[in-house]
Amino acid sequence: MCEVVCSAGHFGGVSPALARIRVAKLDEIGIDLAIACLGCAEKPCLECPTEALSVGPTGEIVLDGDYCDGCGLCFEACPVGAVGFYDGQPLFCDLCDGAPSCVEICPTGALSNVVGAETSLASFLDSQGTPAQKRARFAKVKAEPLREEWAAGRRVDA
Amino acid sequence: MSIYQGTALRVNLTNGEIHRDRTPENGIGGRTWNSVTLLRELEAGVDPLGPENLLCFAVGPLTGSKLSATCRFIVSAKSPLTGILGDSGARGFFGPELRWAGIDQIVFSGASESWVYLYIDDDRVELRDASHLAGLDITDTTVRLMDELGDPDLQVATIGPAGENLVKYAIISCNLSRAAGRTGMGAVMGSKKLKAVAVRGSRPVCPVDPQRFDKACDDLMAATEAHRQFESRRLYGTTRIMDSLADYGVLPAYHYRSAVFDDLAKVNAEALRRDHVVKSKACYNCTVYCSRYNVTSYSEGEGPEYEAQAGFTVKCGSSDMELGVHVSNLVNRLGLDCISTGEVIAWLMECRHEGVITDDDCDGIDLSWGSKEALLRLPELIAAREGIGNLLAEGTRLAAKEFGTEARALTSEVKGLELFSADPRGIKGYGLMNAVNSRGGDHYRGEPMIELTGDEELALRRVGNRNAAHRLSEEGKGALVDYAEHMGLLSDSMTICKNISCCMDVVDFDLAADAYSGLLGEDITAHDLWKVCSHVSQVERDFNMREGLRPADDTLPERFRGKPIPDGPAKGTVIDIDRLVKDYYAVKGWEE
Repeated sequence: MCEVVCSAGHFGGVSPALARIRVAKLDEIGIDLAIACLGCAEKPCLECPTEALSVGPTGEIVLDGDYCDGCGLCFEACPVGAVGFYDGQPLFCDLCDGAPSCVEICPTGALSNVVGAETSLASFLDSQGTPAQKRARFAKVKAEPLREEWAAGRRVDA
Repeated sequence: MSIYQGTALRVNLTNGEIHRDRTPENGIGGRTWNSVTLLRELEAGVDPLGPENLLCFAVGPLTGSKLSATCRFIVSAKSPLTGILGDSGARGFFGPELRWAGIDQIVFSGASESWVYLYIDDDRVELRDASHLAGLDITDTTVRLMDELGDPDLQVATIGPAGENLVKYAIISCNLSRAAGRTGMGAVMGSKKLKAVAVRGSRPVCPVDPQRFDKACDDLMAATEAHRQFESRRLYGTTRIMDSLADYGVLPAYHYRSAVFDDLAKVNAEALRRDHVVKSKACYNCTVYCSRYNVTSYSEGEGPEYEAQAGFTVKCGSSDMELGVHVSNLVNRLGLDCISTGEVIAWLMECRHEGVITDDDCDGIDLSWGSKEALLRLPELIAAREGIGNLLAEGTRLAAKEFGTEARALTSEVKGLELFSADPRGIKGYGLMNAVNSRGGDHYRGEPMIELTGDEELALRRVGNRNAAHRLSEEGKGALVDYAEHMGLLSDSMTICKNISCCMDVVDFDLAADAYSGLLGEDITAHDLWKVCSHVSQVERDFNMREGLRPADDTLPERFRGKPIPDGPAKGTVIDIDRLVKDYYAVKGWEE
C-alpha cells in the first residue's frame, strides 16, 4: 500500500516502479521490508557529477531537475536500493512535505518518519548488484534477529 | 457496447510465435475475456491435455490500480479434471505486475517439445529454455528464476512437479503459495511444457477520471475497515470460520461422518495462531492483510487458509495441527490443490474405515483416521504419480471407478470437482452453489455468505427476500445463488479478492460501476456490468452444454441426497437439492 500511495500521490498512477518506497519481498523466508531513503550518515548518492543533489531541511535528498542529466549514478550508489529511477530521472523520497503518505496509510503501523536519525549504512556500502538486489540483501540482514526469534519459538501472541 | 478492450498476447508454444492481439470486445476483464475466448476458439470435445486446448491468463482494467485488493489473475482452459470449463484465480502480486507490463490477457496455444518459460519485461516478451527447471518444486523454481535473472522483484507464476506430471488437480502458483488452485490448470500448463511465466512491468495504471475513481477507492477502503469481520480476518484469515462451521453443525469431521470434532480446540484458528503463526502477510494493496506466515518443526510457509487447515485435520480425523500446517506447506511446494488433495486423502480413509478398501490397496500405507503416514506420503506419491499416486492423481471421480461402486458412493464431488470442507446440507445456498456453478463442485464461484452472517436486511437488499439469509431455509436460494454468481463473475473480472468483494460484501455493482467509469473515463452503469455478467454466465453454460453437460449433472453427491446430517447442532437436516435447482433454473430462465 505504501508503494501504491507513493506512486499515486506523486504521479497520479500506480506502479511500484514509480514509487520512492519499495517493498523487498523475500517470500521464501516470509520477510517483507519496505525501504525508503533512510537519511543515512554516509549519503553516497551525493557524489553527483552535475551537483544536482543536496540535502533539504528535514534531511531529505533534494533533486534539482535542471542540473540532473539522468546518468543514474545516485540510483546505483544507494547501498540499500532506496533511490528509484523512472523516465530518465532519479526518484528520491521527499517526505511528502513532512507528512509521508506511506506512513499514514500503513495498516500495520510498520512505518514511521524519524527526523535526524543519521542511520549508518557503512556495513552495506559493499553491497553489489542492482538496487533490487541491494534491497533484498538489506532486508535479509535486517530480518536475521526476527528469524532467530521465530526459530526460538516466538509466535505472534507470545 | 464495448466497455474495455485490452491487449492480448498470443503465444503459440508449438512454433514459438508470439504476437499481440486484442481481448474479446464486450468484456470487463479477467474471466469474462477468458470464457468468451474458450467458447469461440475451442472445438467441442478437445483433449484438455492435448495441444489443441488453450490456456488463458487474464487480468483486467482495474488490476494493479489503487482500488483495494485488485490483485488477482484468472487462468482458464478446458479442465482435465472435469471435462468442462476450468478456471481459477490466484491472489498475491503476479496479476498487478502483468498489468503494469501492459498485458491484459495471454492466450497460450499448442504445446512445446521441451520445457520453456515465458519472460516478460514490459515490451520484451520471450520464450526461454526451462529444461534446468524441470522437476523443481514451486519455491525452488521461483527462487531459481529470481537468482538467475538477478531480479528479486520478479513475479513468477509456476507449476510444480504435480503440474509437470499432469496431476489433474495441479495448481499454478505465484508468490510461492498463492494458487490458481481449482480445476487442474497446472496440468494444462504442464501438458504444454510451459513451466513458468516470469514478469516485470513498470507502466502505471492511471485513472482517466481521478475524482470519481478515488472516491470509489476511498469508499471501498472505508467500508472494508468498518466491517465487523475486519479484525477477525486480520487475525485469522479464513481460518476464523472453523469454529462458526462447528456451531452451525456443518463441520466435515471424519469425511462428513460427523459434524462434531472433539479436538476442535487443538486445530482451530486460535490454536493455529497461538502455536504456528509468526507474522501477517498481505496481497497487493490490501488493508486486511489476512494471510499469515507459519513456522512448524517440519517446515515454514504462508498459510494455511481454512480449506487446507480443515482438509488436513478435521476432515481426515486428525487433531495434529502442526502436521496439518506442514502438509499445507508441502502441497503448496508440490503444486497440488489443497482442497482436492485433502478430499482424496479423507475419502480414502473413509473407504478404509468402511472396509471398502484396505491399506494393501494403497501401497500398504496406513489409512486409519488421522494417519500421519498417509498425510505425509500421499501428496508426494500423487505429485510424482508413483504407485497408488498415479491413480489418485486422476481425482476422486476416476479413482472411484477403480475401487468400485461402494467407494463411489462415498465420494464428494460434483462434475468431477471435489467439494469444500463443509457439509452442504446445513448451508443450503452453498449446497446449491456447489450443485450448479459452471466449474463443478465449488463454493468460491460466488459466495452466498449472507446465509452464514444471517443478515436479513442485506438479503432483502440483494435478492429481495429476508429468508434467503437463513442457512437452513430453502427459500430465495435460487436468487441468492444467481446474485452470488454474478458477484463472483464481477469479482473475477475486476480481479478483486472475493473475500472482500463477496464474503465481506463491501463491493456491489454500483461501486464497481464507479470504479470502472472513473478508471476508464466512460459512463458505465451498474446495469451494464450486470448485463455483461449475465451474458458471460450464459456463455459458460453454453460451453459446458457443448462439452456434454446435462441438467441431471446439476446436483449434489449421492451421500448428501435424502440423508440427514447425522449429529451435532444441525442433526436431522436434509437438503432438497432438486427443489433448489428447480428454483435456480426458474431464476435463470433455463429448461429443466
